[in-house]
Amino acid sequence: MACAIAREVRDGETVAVGTLAPVPASGVLLAHFTHAPRATVVILNHPDYWPFRGGSREFYDFAQRGRFDLFFLSGGQLDRHGNLNLIAVGDPARPSVRLPGGAGAAMLYYLPRRVIVFRTEHSPRIFVERVDVVTSPGSTPPDVVRPGGPWKTVTPLCVFRFDPGRRALVVESVHPGVTREALQARTGFALDYDPAAGTTPAPTAEELGVLRTRVREAVARTYPRFAAAAFGAQR
Amino acid sequence: MAGHVGSDYERLRPDFRVIPNPYAPGERVLLVPPIRPDLALIHAIAATADGTLLLDHMEDDALLAQASRVVVASAERVVTPAELPAAGEGVVLQGIHVTAVAEAPGGARPTFVRGVYPVDADAIREYVAAARDDASFKAWLDRFVYG
Repeated sequence: MACAIAREVRDGETVAVGTLAPVPASGVLLAHFTHAPRATVVILNHPDYWPFRGGSREFYDFAQRGRFDLFFLSGGQLDRHGNLNLIAVGDPARPSVRLPGGAGAAMLYYLPRRVIVFRTEHSPRIFVERVDVVTSPGSTPPDVVRPGGPWKTVTPLCVFRFDPGRRALVVESVHPGVTREALQARTGFALDYDPAAGTTPAPTAEELGVLRTRVREAVARTYPRFAAAAFGAQR
Repeated sequence: MAGHVGSDYERLRPDFRVIPNPYAPGERVLLVPPIRPDLALIHAIAATADGTLLLDHMEDDALLAQASRVVVASAERVVTPAELPAAGEGVVLQGIHVTAVAEAPGGARPTFVRGVYPVDADAIREYVAAARDDASFKAWLDRFVYG
């Protein structure tokens, strides 16, 4: 997932990673340490990558000005239309699961130029036909300020591309070792494939090497438990 | 607020209003009412006796203090005005925003004070486990709050 995310980061862009997002943080740092050295990297709660002094207000104000090129969001439920649910599973008045809340996730799905949705669990309870509550809609009427929006969705099984014409996710690539049958069985909506859909390129030896050294070390400043567990054998 | 229009917030929060943007015809924007707390309790890295606080620059304590009618601050330590800038890394909130201040070392535990002590994850796990039922939660309160 980190490698798939890293490949979406473009050199020179301003890229931000929000709360509870160690996988995007790893992907962005991998890009920064390889092909995107001139990217401006913002990682919430990271001592080296948090350029603000005015709390989250300064971050949100910066986002409102449309200054982020790439941002990351997730959700308790995600649907084929790119809608995210961070509020509740079931009726929000009597939820079966109370999710953490949006915390700006609606606005942050509109203003950054490209948003990558990530989720480390790819299952029918997460990837549903229709989310129970729309915290962040995949698409909006034309009279709403929305310079950006959904771009890709990255999971442990595949990469989706958001197709703005169809207002829906289409599978762009399936990760190595995952069959289309297995992917459908783990997804709660009928999959559409991009005509050019193929296999996600496997991580290269160089990518793995940087992940397990510089990225692990940098991510550990904010996510020590993740860094200790997620990068495979200690080198 | 730019963006945001079109989510279920408008259904769940009727106090959030969508209006035509008076400065950009043909565009709708969202209004969110201000939150005005009666009381804010915040914990500072350091404070002076007049209530001036050194606060974590990654958190929103200064914003919270400026929104609230009454602000009661605790601080890891109370220092002189000359010592405050060197008391740690943070941002300074002037004492005019603060109603009362008290020295309370360790006052943020089991959460953290950046640069002073880390989050106590084991203590938080213990709390989460204790909070699952009334008997274990009462035992937790007796031990850590009333004890």
